[in-house]
Amino acid sequence: MSVTASTIKPAQRPLYGPAIVSGQPRLPVILWFVPIPDLHDMTSLLFAVGKSRDRAAFETLFLYFAPRVKAYLLRRGVAAMAAEDLAQEALLNVWNKAHLFDPKRGSAASWIFTVARNLHIDAVRRQKHPDFDPNDPALIPEQEPEADAGLQRMDDDERLRKALESLPPGERNILELSYFAEKPHSAIARELRLPLGTVKSRMRAAMRRIREGLLK
Amino acid sequence: MITHHPADSLLLKHAAGAAHEAVSLIVATHLALCPACRRVVKLAEHAGGILLENLTPEPLTTGAWEHLAARLDEAEAAAPSIVARSGGTPTIPEPLRSYLGADGLDKIRWNFVLPGLAFRPLLPGPFSAKLVRSKPGSSIGLHTHKGEEFSVVLAGGYSDCSGQYRRGDFHTATPDLLHRPVADQGEDCIVLAVTEAPLAFRNPPIGLIASLIGY
Ligand SMILES: [Zn+2]
Repeated sequence: MSVTASTIKPAQRPLYGPAIVSGQPRLPVILWFVPIPDLHDMTSLLFAVGKSRDRAAFETLFLYFAPRVKAYLLRRGVAAMAAEDLAQEALLNVWNKAHLFDPKRGSAASWIFTVARNLHIDAVRRQKHPDFDPNDPALIPEQEPEADAGLQRMDDDERLRKALESLPPGERNILELSYFAEKPHSAIARELRLPLGTVKSRMRAAMRRIREGLLK
Repeated sequence: MITHHPADSLLLKHAAGAAHEAVSLIVATHLALCPACRRVVKLAEHAGGILLENLTPEPLTTGAWEHLAARLDEAEAAAPSIVARSGGTPTIPEPLRSYLGADGLDKIRWNFVLPGLAFRPLLPGPFSAKLVRSKPGSSIGLHTHKGEEFSVVLAGGYSDCSGQYRRGDFHTATPDLLHRPVADQGEDCIVLAVTEAPLAFRNPPIGLIASLIGY
C-alpha cells in the first residue's frame, strides 16, 4: 500500500486542551472530539520514508513533528535559535535513520521522540545515551513471538493514551517533568515545594498506573 | 532467571533521557539481558511519543521545510549497524561491549585492589562506572554507600544480606544499606558497578587502599 501526503491529515487530540495547528488560528472546541492523531498513518509514512525515501511522506512527517520537536527542545531549556536548528537536525536524523525504524517495535511518535531525546543528550549535554542493540547476538530475546505486534501496538497506543489522560494532575505533572524538564528529582521537588519522597512516590505511582493499564 | 530488576523510576529516567550516562549504561546493559524491563522501557518511550505529540507545536521560521528539503540529497545514508559475530555469543552485551573498546573481556587490563579483587574504570564521576572482578569466595568487605550504587552481574554471582545475584540481576544499594557482598563459588564474578559517590568502608585500611587506587 502506498501512502501519499495528500491522503493524510494529521489531526490532533490534545491531552490537556485544544491544540493550535502551527500557522493556523486556534480551532474551536469541537476539536476536542476528533479522536486521533492518526498514529497508524504517521507510522506508515515513516515506514515509507525508510523503505523508499518517499519525500512527500517525509514532508508530512516534518510539518507535523518538527514544530513539536522544537517545543520539546524549548521545554528542555534550549534557546530559541538553537532549538530551531536542532529540530531541523533531529528531522534530518529521522530521514537518515528511517530505514532502521521497525513498525513492529513502536509508533512513529515514540521513535521520533527517541531520536530527539538522543540528539539533545548528544548536542547539549555532550554525553551519550547508551542503549541495547536489538541485533546484538548477546541480547536475550523475548520468549513469545511478536507476530501480532502491529495490531497489539495500536491497541496499546489507545490504552496508553487513556492511562495518561486519567493520571491525577499531580502525577501527570511529575511524569511530564521527567520527560521535559531534565532536572534531577531533587530540583523538581524544590521547584514544586514538595518533599523529595513525594516526587519519587508520584513517579512510581504514575509508572504503576501505566504498567497496570498495559502489561496486566 | 533474572529476579532483581531496576526500579520503575530508573527505567523511566532512562527512557525519558533524564539519567546520567553511567546510569543509562548500566540500565541498558540490564535491558539487553531482560526482556521484561525492555517492555517497560518501550512503554515509557511510547508515553514519551504521546507527550511529544501533545506538546503545543512551536511554529518554525518561514521556509524551514524548503531549507531542510535542500539538504536531503546531500545527507549520507547512515551506516548499517555492524554486529561483531566472531567467536560465538559474547559474554558482555551492548552497549557495555562498546565501552570496553577492542579489549574484550579476555584482554582487560585490571587494576588490583585486594587479593582476589580487581577493577577496571570505564567512566569517571559524578556517577562513575567500572567493571569489578572477584575470585570465588572473595569480598570487598563490609561497607555502606555515600550515594546510590547500582550493579549488574555479567558472569558468576554474589550474595549479601539482601539476596543472591546472578547474571543479569540488577542490584540497587541505597546509602543506608550496610552489606558485605561475597562472590559465589564457581567462576569469577564480574559486575558492572555504577556509584554516585565512593563507598564507605568499615575497615579503615581497606578504605585507604581503595581511595589511593581510585576504586
Ligand atoms: Zn529487568
